[in-house]
Amino acid sequence: MFKKEISIKNQLTQLEVLVNELEILSEEWELPMSISLNLNLVLEELITNTIFYGYEDQNEHLIKIEMSFENQVITLKIEDDGKEFNPLLMAEPNIELSVQDREIGGLGIHFVRKLMDEVSYSRMNNKNILTLTKRVLLN
Amino acid sequence: MKLEVNQLDQYSMIKITGRIDTISAVEFEKVAQNVLNAENQTIIMDCAELEYITSSGLRVFLVLQKNMLLKKGRIIFCGFQPSIKEIFDISGFSGIFQIYPDLNSAVESCK
Repeated sequence: MFKKEISIKNQLTQLEVLVNELEILSEEWELPMSISLNLNLVLEELITNTIFYGYEDQNEHLIKIEMSFENQVITLKIEDDGKEFNPLLMAEPNIELSVQDREIGGLGIHFVRKLMDEVSYSRMNNKNILTLTKRVLLN
Repeated sequence: MKLEVNQLDQYSMIKITGRIDTISAVEFEKVAQNVLNAENQTIIMDCAELEYITSSGLRVFLVLQKNMLLKKGRIIFCGFQPSIKEIFDISGFSGIFQIYPDLNSAVESCK
């Protein structure tokens, strides 16, 4: 069982911390590059949303990310103390539209849903908690 | 992220190396917008060395394409790594952009 927990501040520049930690973790856990990139994308999309839209004040907040890998399943748990927000309630983007009609909104969450196996949201102790799992088949 | 721009007679090309993420997407948009202002036909995005892209990056591509189409021009892509192709497929962008396997075939399409 592998486990790692990091906390970053609600600033875009902190995404670099996330990238570095994921690189270290991916090597330790021997994750394929494709899995590592997808975890990075999922976390960046969700955390960027939180940084942009999650807070009503200008204060510094911490976003906690717990990652674990056991029985071939990777579990991510993202916790923030922003305003109540369930990203899963966002409408799916219409990916059939032509260029002229396409919008970008909702694409981040769309990636999360498609790249992860299970995604669930809960609100507890004034925190948003998003839990995501991905089964990884390693040789 | 590293960007290399080539402006030729029949097309312009932007070679992207590394990652287009939430932060680097801003610089990418600036550079690409400049190329777009000077190009009315085709901009080739050479993605052979592109390793990672987020929705911020995809947003820039969409805006550029909308602007190019207004000029009766287009953006095309080449050299996708499998992870990038997957992102384009999932987002439906594979259906709205022309994607070539390599630079040669992309350049051929401009002749």
